[in-house]
Amino acid sequence: MNFLDQIWLIPLFPLFGAVVMLLFGSKLDPQPASDVAVAPGVELTHDGHEAAHHHHGHTHEHAHEHVTGHDHHGGGLKTVVSLLCPGMVLLSLIWSAGAVLQLANVPERSHEVIQFTWLAGLPFHMAGGRLATFSADWGFLLDPLSSVMILVVTGIGFLIHVYSTGYMAHDNGYYRFFGYLNLFVFFMLMLVLANNYALMFVGWEGVGLCSYLLIGFYFHKKSAGDAGKKAFVVNRVGDAGFILGMLLMFSVLGTVKFVDVRQILGSGNFRAETAGFGVLSTMALLLFIGATGKSAQIPLYVWLPDAMEGPTPVSALIHAATMVTAGVYMVARSAALYQLTPHTSTIVASVGAFTAILAATIALVQNDIKRVLAYSTVSQLGYMFLALGVGAYWVAIFHLFTHAFFKALLFLGSGSVIHAVSGEQDMRRMGGLKDKIPITHWTMFVAALAIAGIPGFAGFFSKDEILWQAYSSQQGSNALYVVGLLTAGLTAFYMWRLMHMTFYGRSRVAPEIEAHIHESPASMTVPLTLLAIGSVLAGWIGTPRLWGMSGWFRGFEQWLEPSFASAAVEAVKEGAHDASTEGILMGVSIALALIGIGIARYCYHIRPEIPGAIEARCGPIHRTLSNKWYVDEIYDFLFVNGFAKGGGTLLGAFDRNVIDGGVNGAGWFTRFSSSFSIWWDTWIVDGTVRLTSLLVKVSSYPVRIVQTGRVQAYALFVVVGALAFFGYYLAR
Amino acid sequence: MSQYYSTNEAFALTPALTLALFGCWILVFDFLFANSKQKRYFALVVVAGLIFAGVGLYRQQAFLATSGDSSIIAFSGALTIDRFALYFNWVFELATLIVALVSYNYLEIEGEHHGEYYALLLFAQCGMFFLAAGTDLVTLFIGLELMALCFYVMVGFLRGDKRSNEAAIKYLLLGAFSSGFLVYGFSIMYGLAGSTRLTDVAAAIAARPAWDPLVFLAMTTTAVGLLFKISAAPFHMWAPDAYEGAPTTITAYLSVASKAASFAFLLRIFLGPLAPARDAWEPLLAAVAILTMTIGNLAAISQTNIKRLLAYSSISHAGYMLLGLIAGNDTGIQGIAVYVMVYAFMNLGAFLVVIALRRKNIIGDDVDDMAGLMYRSPGYAVLMLIFLLSLAGIPPTAGFLGKYYIFLSLIETHHYLLAVIATLYVAVAIYYYFRIVKTMFVGELTEKAPLATSFGLRVALGITGVLTLAVGVYPEPVLRLAQNSFLR
Amino acid sequence: MMDALFFYLFATLVLGGAILTVTRRNAVHSAISLIVSLIGVAGLYLLQQAEFLFAVQIVLYVGGIMVLFLFVIMLVNLDQAAKQRRFNRQWWIALLCVTAVGVEIAYFVRKGASAFSMARPPVAAVANAGGNTEQIADVLFRQYLLPFEIASVLLLVAVVGSVVMAKKRI
Repeated sequence: MNFLDQIWLIPLFPLFGAVVMLLFGSKLDPQPASDVAVAPGVELTHDGHEAAHHHHGHTHEHAHEHVTGHDHHGGGLKTVVSLLCPGMVLLSLIWSAGAVLQLANVPERSHEVIQFTWLAGLPFHMAGGRLATFSADWGFLLDPLSSVMILVVTGIGFLIHVYSTGYMAHDNGYYRFFGYLNLFVFFMLMLVLANNYALMFVGWEGVGLCSYLLIGFYFHKKSAGDAGKKAFVVNRVGDAGFILGMLLMFSVLGTVKFVDVRQILGSGNFRAETAGFGVLSTMALLLFIGATGKSAQIPLYVWLPDAMEGPTPVSALIHAATMVTAGVYMVARSAALYQLTPHTSTIVASVGAFTAILAATIALVQNDIKRVLAYSTVSQLGYMFLALGVGAYWVAIFHLFTHAFFKALLFLGSGSVIHAVSGEQDMRRMGGLKDKIPITHWTMFVAALAIAGIPGFAGFFSKDEILWQAYSSQQGSNALYVVGLLTAGLTAFYMWRLMHMTFYGRSRVAPEIEAHIHESPASMTVPLTLLAIGSVLAGWIGTPRLWGMSGWFRGFEQWLEPSFASAAVEAVKEGAHDASTEGILMGVSIALALIGIGIARYCYHIRPEIPGAIEARCGPIHRTLSNKWYVDEIYDFLFVNGFAKGGGTLLGAFDRNVIDGGVNGAGWFTRFSSSFSIWWDTWIVDGTVRLTSLLVKVSSYPVRIVQTGRVQAYALFVVVGALAFFGYYLAR
Repeated sequence: MSQYYSTNEAFALTPALTLALFGCWILVFDFLFANSKQKRYFALVVVAGLIFAGVGLYRQQAFLATSGDSSIIAFSGALTIDRFALYFNWVFELATLIVALVSYNYLEIEGEHHGEYYALLLFAQCGMFFLAAGTDLVTLFIGLELMALCFYVMVGFLRGDKRSNEAAIKYLLLGAFSSGFLVYGFSIMYGLAGSTRLTDVAAAIAARPAWDPLVFLAMTTTAVGLLFKISAAPFHMWAPDAYEGAPTTITAYLSVASKAASFAFLLRIFLGPLAPARDAWEPLLAAVAILTMTIGNLAAISQTNIKRLLAYSSISHAGYMLLGLIAGNDTGIQGIAVYVMVYAFMNLGAFLVVIALRRKNIIGDDVDDMAGLMYRSPGYAVLMLIFLLSLAGIPPTAGFLGKYYIFLSLIETHHYLLAVIATLYVAVAIYYYFRIVKTMFVGELTEKAPLATSFGLRVALGITGVLTLAVGVYPEPVLRLAQNSFLR
Repeated sequence: MMDALFFYLFATLVLGGAILTVTRRNAVHSAISLIVSLIGVAGLYLLQQAEFLFAVQIVLYVGGIMVLFLFVIMLVNLDQAAKQRRFNRQWWIALLCVTAVGVEIAYFVRKGASAFSMARPPVAAVANAGGNTEQIADVLFRQYLLPFEIASVLLLVAVVGSVVMAKKRI
């Protein structure tokens, strides 16, 4: 079969699933359509459930059955949903894989399928006086860049669909959920397969819509509705930038087709805007504003943590692995443009770096397991933009690729944890789950190592490459490198803090819930396992140049090369940095990752399994704190009360003077930076958002006051309008 | 130009004649259908009338296509059937069809089911025909008054409802007031040209400097009258009150057909006789467009009544459409044409869902009445979502097309500031459209029973919904029609 | 000279009548003022040598329509309404607006007055066409046939509309 010419089919499979679900779903799923969804992620005593209870008497029993995990109502037709929707994504995956394999045999590594002219245009004179006719096709482009994206979307998407059949099994909105999810996959595939910016924008808006619908899936939670709306409105601000950038691109370049744009920009008619901030830089900046909205970068990142109100598989698929990377993909797609606009690229890199470290510091103090991961996602996306900004496009995509595996895994794992502890999301009420849900633990263990950047795991390769590029590329600088490095350390710390609080130590789970803890069904653990394998292997296709490997081990960069060919990839400041520098830097980052993990262990490890020097030092602290148990009290101890007051005579002199002093200092810094971040988040960012909406609201009042309802007043305004017209003539 | 009356005149006039005749038929045979249930057959009569008128339009279209002429000129230049006129007439056909389909059930619920309503629909469309096809100041003016008069009555059709009465009186008074301005402008144009034919007026104005005081006076007063009809700020103030008070079917009709017809009129005047004075009116209209978008979008935010909210949204749409005229290049005019068509079905669709909410004892025009619609009647909620997305200009719905071409034309003609303002207001618009979406999808369910709707409403919803999506994905036919409508 | 004198006389009648129509609180007075205004218009037609229009104006408006008006006013008891206080007083705003618009329009018209080509009555053309009535018929049924026909539909709608709005049971 010629998959290459059938790439237009790839998005259509999930669309079919979505249409069937949304039109006929209520008939497949025997639940009453008006029923209120009760999710595993919702604690039963929440107001939401009481509201549900108020409406439907039977919901309560249903939810209780669910808690014990033995409820399998629905049956028959519901299986159709469970087979159809993941099946459709699987078909997409097969077609994608087929197409990508065939693409490898195409010499120019690029294949376009144009179905029809979508937005036909009229001839007009461009800024330069040239006559141009603009049109955008309903067309699809498969090249190395989009092939990576479709594999990620359909591959990870399929696993998450399978996972969802288990996770969402007890939800009343089952068909609705899968309908939205399939619709999302459709739009996401449109986004990455489109051959021009206009069609890309279809997917761009579509994924935003699905994200909105899925965030607000638990519609009886008010916070869910607000979060959904916040996401959509914030995204629209970014979209305004995207539209303007696209229109400007058209008026300057005369086309918005990826291939043509790259060719025109690479033709030499446009020179790099090194001197000033010209039209290309404006264009690039506008597009980047669009990217900051979708990919949750400063200043538009505020919606992503709130988006965690949605079901966990949604967080995994949309808010970690795919949709939020759309901005990264778009900027990488525009590589030829950013190549010519060093100033904008610097902005991209700086915004990325700043976002990375800001989000990482916020993640340090979050107690909601999903919020930690959300901020972590923001931070990792910052890394990708950092890579884009320094001109290392393939590295950004590489990190996107590996991140998709381990972050999806982390989210799904956290979903499994939440599932196990009956909807609890607060890590302070977890702990000691390691042996009760072993598969979840071990898979998350792998993911945590991957994100921390431990050699051999996927995250290491991509993150290290980003750091190296930030240091060595022409666009890079020492400052960017240091920020990236610090973020890496913080990442290792907060991720292992999460692991410790969740899986190790003594259980802090409420007794009545503890009795119900159980490992998730196979439909959930199998995707976890597969993702864990991916989290190890995915990085090996992009091993550092330093390691001197070849072939598959450096396959990623070679595969992507045609996509960024016109871009002078990796303009490494040769000579300035040699192999030994790279080795040293790698060592530093590994060391920092280990230190981060170590500190996390030091601070949060409760029952040391592995004897060692660090654990030995932990001992006194552990004993000291054993009567003040909860981890948040460690915080109080370290950060609030101060060490001297709490420690007192129980600590040995060594501990007090050396180790604890260090911890205290680090703690002070962490507390300061994170409270600054929170302050920034609450007052500056949220404040700006609130102020804007307040301003918008307030400004609508004068309009209403004028609207008195008196017809004479209306007539007066007609006359005033006419007078203003006349006045214009006189004032001219 | 033909100087005699012949089959040519009859041919040109067929659609209008058909509409008027069917209208008269309904008036005459009203007595045959005594009770409210039987009166629903009038909806069928309207549909029949539309089909016959549609055949007339189609034959004209076919004639233009085969003969190679750009237009059929009749009544010594008072009437010109060109592609522009035909294009807009198709929009009117669609709007009247949809409104007729949903009216019978709505009127029964309101308890005001009378044959006159259907007759007025047809007469109103008859007036619109002349607005789109008229090329004579007097023809245009009488066509406008014919349409407006029908609307005054239809807006006040719920005679027992104070809101409806108030709306009708306000609309009537202000409508007459603005017509005064319009006709004053026309009288000056006549004074300049010594003729009421648009071609003569155009020649007279072209012979004078762009900033000629009389041309300017004629332009501004005409503009006041026309901008009032399309509800552009600051002449928009009748719209929210009239939209809120009118029967919802008529609100839909008013917001779509009346606006489309007035835009046809506006384009005829501003691209015809007033085209030479572009330097004078371009900044004025730009200011009006910005003010219109500002007021429409900002005021919509704090509305709690859906009809009022959609009224302000419709005001803001008028602002976007005006931008196409300001850009003034081919893309811009095409943009307006596409926008008018697309706006017709998406806005009608949104109103249809509001109409579906109307039941005995439930007015259903408050935003909260939409609460939890997704769990009552998912089909309606999904359709409403599509219409709102389209109104907000989100691809791949049809609404994106209109905005896209308008914005594109602004960029093409280097109106960057306007483009930025318009794009930002689109972001604001999302805010209030999504208030409705949020209520539908996330709102607390107050009522569990699914909506009970008439057959006609479901057909109408089907048509508008399919068009909104299909045109967004495959716009080629509409684009071609729109391009042909003004390219000679 | 005489023409100018009569023009200003009739113009005063038109304007004065119109102002009185909107300012009188007694409906009968208003209606009679309107008659004055319409007679003034008729006089202006006469000055333009449009005798036919002059006759039609007198017969139809002054004779027919206004008499109907007066009948209706007398049949319906409007005394109560006349005694009620007007609920808004913005006459000074209205005055201001009228003045402003008037001044502006006067300014424009004065600046561009030379452009009007139709300032003189077309005596010769009327004579050539075989008289005033014939020429009106000629213009009406040739050049303005279409608006004339649409006007019939307009009137029909006006009748239907007023019935719909006024009648309690249709």
